[in-house]
Amino acid sequence: MSINFKNVTYIYQPATPFAHRALSDVSFSIPEHSYTAVIGHTGSGKSTLIQHLNGLLRPTSGELTVNDQLITTTTTNKELVKLRRQVGVVFQFPEAQLFEETVLKDIAFAPKNFGATPAEAEKIARKTAELVQLPASVLEQSPFELSGGQMRRVAIAGILAMQPQILVLDEPTAGLDPRGHQEIMELFAQLKQQQDLTVILVTHQMDDVALYADQVIVLEEGKIMAQQTPRKLFSRPEWLHKHHLDLPHAAKLAFAIQQQSNFKFKELPLTEDQLADQLAKWLPKEGSSN
Amino acid sequence: MNKVLLGRYLPGSSFIHRLDPRSKLILSFYFIIIIFLANNWLTYLFMFAVVAGCILLAKIKLSFFWKGVQPLIWLILFTVVLQILFSRGGTVYWQWGPFSLTQTGIISGIYVFFRFVLIIFMSTLLTLTTPPLEIAGALESLLKPLKKIHFPVYEVSLMLSIALRFVPTLLDEATKIMNAQRSRGVNFDTGSLRQRLHAVVPLLIPLFVSAFNRAEDLATAMEARGYHGGEGRTKYRVNQWRLRDTLSMFAFLLVTVIMFLLRTW
Repeated sequence: MSINFKNVTYIYQPATPFAHRALSDVSFSIPEHSYTAVIGHTGSGKSTLIQHLNGLLRPTSGELTVNDQLITTTTTNKELVKLRRQVGVVFQFPEAQLFEETVLKDIAFAPKNFGATPAEAEKIARKTAELVQLPASVLEQSPFELSGGQMRRVAIAGILAMQPQILVLDEPTAGLDPRGHQEIMELFAQLKQQQDLTVILVTHQMDDVALYADQVIVLEEGKIMAQQTPRKLFSRPEWLHKHHLDLPHAAKLAFAIQQQSNFKFKELPLTEDQLADQLAKWLPKEGSSN
Repeated sequence: MNKVLLGRYLPGSSFIHRLDPRSKLILSFYFIIIIFLANNWLTYLFMFAVVAGCILLAKIKLSFFWKGVQPLIWLILFTVVLQILFSRGGTVYWQWGPFSLTQTGIISGIYVFFRFVLIIFMSTLLTLTTPPLEIAGALESLLKPLKKIHFPVYEVSLMLSIALRFVPTLLDEATKIMNAQRSRGVNFDTGSLRQRLHAVVPLLIPLFVSAFNRAEDLATAMEARGYHGGEGRTKYRVNQWRLRDTLSMFAFLLVTVIMFLLRTW
């Protein structure tokens, strides 16, 4: 049930003057129930990579397996429909996908497409709306009357209503305010816990990577530069700098503290909590020595 | 959708790329007119040579052009078949009701095919070597005389350049929405005609909504930057007529003369 890429290459518009190689010879695997972050520059192939996960794109060469389903160059669309139900993809700015007359109908759209009866679909939709903290009063409204943040929630609920086993998030909180960002990220983390999901997150926010991910895949120009735990990755600031990537804020501060004092962190703090914990143990000693 | 070459721009610095967009536009139209002068094998051969020469000058591979024609091949073949079945004259090989297969029909069918291919090649060459905004600018400056009859030249060209600018953006958006809906279980490629028409709704509504939003944002942004209509504006992109433009005009004049000679051969 894991995800496995084997020498996957993808070329946009092959054999034209516009041919563009977005992925070259990519191999990696993602274990079940893990939280994987995919990071890399704009245009490094992240979005191309995740479109392979539910068969929107088929590799130009190579093959991959997602949930025991083999996807090769010749896999037909029909075989992929089954897969799309198991892999929910929240695209960038997903509110662009809303179209139904009411919020409820829009959330129920995917379950209906995958064979639920209207009554079942509505039940799932109500439950999912509650899950993403949409007030019951908006359910009968048109999705186009809502605020940006609420539209985002409706769109995300529309994906969660499919009850996927693998959840793919392409910058799900881009353009949201800090509070909305935190709420949505927490929601995904909670869902992963409760439903044992496999989560794949594409993001530019290193703080989220540090906070949630078990492993990180670094992409650059369609190639995999690294696949490791966040801790290992962020302990190499020079390497990150060379690949134009940033550190989480906590780690940045930790490195700065180490540089300007004789304090040594036992292990690199990745989140504010870890940073505060280690500093708290240190401070009283400083105080008593004075 | 991605296979269509017509209307796309391929950056380069060849002779054709550096021509004034106005002269390219004039010459492309002119070419479409003189292609109707062709009436025998020799003239078509000559026109092919002219197009091939232009393509060589643009330093683009000929095979790309053939690929650009391929999406339109059914339309062309349809016209050709109509031409063949309904033309009369010369030896009759086969006849059934209003349909007939005659010598003239076959020959004019082949001619129509070549004419189509040549016109598509030439217009593809125009768009491959000229950025869309330059085409819009060139059209504006060529339409200027129409101002005398109160034709809204400026507004039309503004709409044209905005439309051209947003074609790729809207295509991207359409692909994005299509992917998002596919992920939600919409099937665009299979099913009956009715089902397929039904599947287009989740694509069209978001696309229209986003176009409306985009138009509103763009209008606001334009006003905020001090735009208030076409009168009294200066131009950033100024076209310059150079020697090579005059030369190309003469070259096409020569082509016309040769065409007239070959016609009466």
